[in-house]
Amino acid sequence: MSSTTHDDHAHPHPHPHAPIEEKGEAAEFAILEAAIRELSIAKGLFSAEDHRRFMEWYDKVGPTGGARMVARAWVDPAFKQRLLADGVTACKEIGVDWLQPTGSGTPSDYTYLITCENTPKVHNVIVCTLCSCYPRPLLGLSPAWYERPTYRRRVVRWPRQVLAEFGTIIPPDVEVRVHDSNQKTRYIVLPMRPAGTEGWSEEKLATIVTRDTMIGVALPSADWTVSSTPTHG
Amino acid sequence: MATRATSSSSTYAALMECVRSHAPASHAVANLPLTISQTRAEALLHVVHDVGGQPDGPIDKTLHKPAHWEKSTHCTAECLAWRGHWVSEERRRRENDLGETLYFGTPYYARWLLAATKMLLDKGLVTPDELLAKMEEIRAREEIAA
Repeated sequence: MSSTTHDDHAHPHPHPHAPIEEKGEAAEFAILEAAIRELSIAKGLFSAEDHRRFMEWYDKVGPTGGARMVARAWVDPAFKQRLLADGVTACKEIGVDWLQPTGSGTPSDYTYLITCENTPKVHNVIVCTLCSCYPRPLLGLSPAWYERPTYRRRVVRWPRQVLAEFGTIIPPDVEVRVHDSNQKTRYIVLPMRPAGTEGWSEEKLATIVTRDTMIGVALPSADWTVSSTPTHG
Repeated sequence: MATRATSSSSTYAALMECVRSHAPASHAVANLPLTISQTRAEALLHVVHDVGGQPDGPIDKTLHKPAHWEKSTHCTAECLAWRGHWVSEERRRRENDLGETLYFGTPYYARWLLAATKMLLDKGLVTPDELLAKMEEIRAREEIAA
């Protein structure tokens, strides 16, 4: 945040803040957000430094952490076993520390991580029917459709149809398991390594592991364009 | 006179039946019944966020780049929990308590923001006067009309 970003009008007050750029009704949310944040900091409920640390954490987390985890599990069977046994501990090996940014994790995310391994006979998909629990340290912030009620309503009951809407057809002889996340337990999908990637380095493998393949609504492909979706639309 | 009393009594009963027919239908089942059906019990016990398994239409796969206020709301809610003013489960519970209209009818992070605001007010950490004054101050400095 900076107090020097306003160039269209004089700005005498001493409080640093990001300018509110929302228009109309959305500006009301921005005003309320700024109000409770500035009041909380002024009253010492938390510090400006606390908030800055979380904003940096928010910018840092993203699906590349999860992609590194999957690629490592594909090339290192011993790592995969450690990951399946204790996900949070194994994540440290690929540079993802669930204890960031506070030293005791985020209040909403520090929890128990279970990795759901896809096999030729089992396909996994994750959801949070009750709200939006998501393995943020590994995947970043969830896509909007993951938070919307439609996905939460339908995927636990009609998973094959929902997956088909994402372009993922699961054969009838493959079992589909839906994992409903909660406050204490987060899930991530370990997809199967696709054919055509023999001899690839761990770094190259990580490039085909997209966010959607770790939620379970897409399958990785050696042709990275197939399962790739942009982070923001 | 007895005949007349009976007539008055039946007229009164008919009048009351007429009034009952104009009362909202919900009153008929909200009159402290001694027993209720399993279906009605499930409906009464249902909480707003428990949507798993409900029928719905096609998935809206539209993505959304979070606005600054949404990102900052996430971080403010987390900082309030980090420093012990609430826990994330209280936040989620307070989102339910906003009611169905606000729960489903506002942006995702508006739920977080309204829940955080009501928590600060409910616990006396911020007074309504302070909040309104701060919002006016921000409105003035950002030159946003009310």
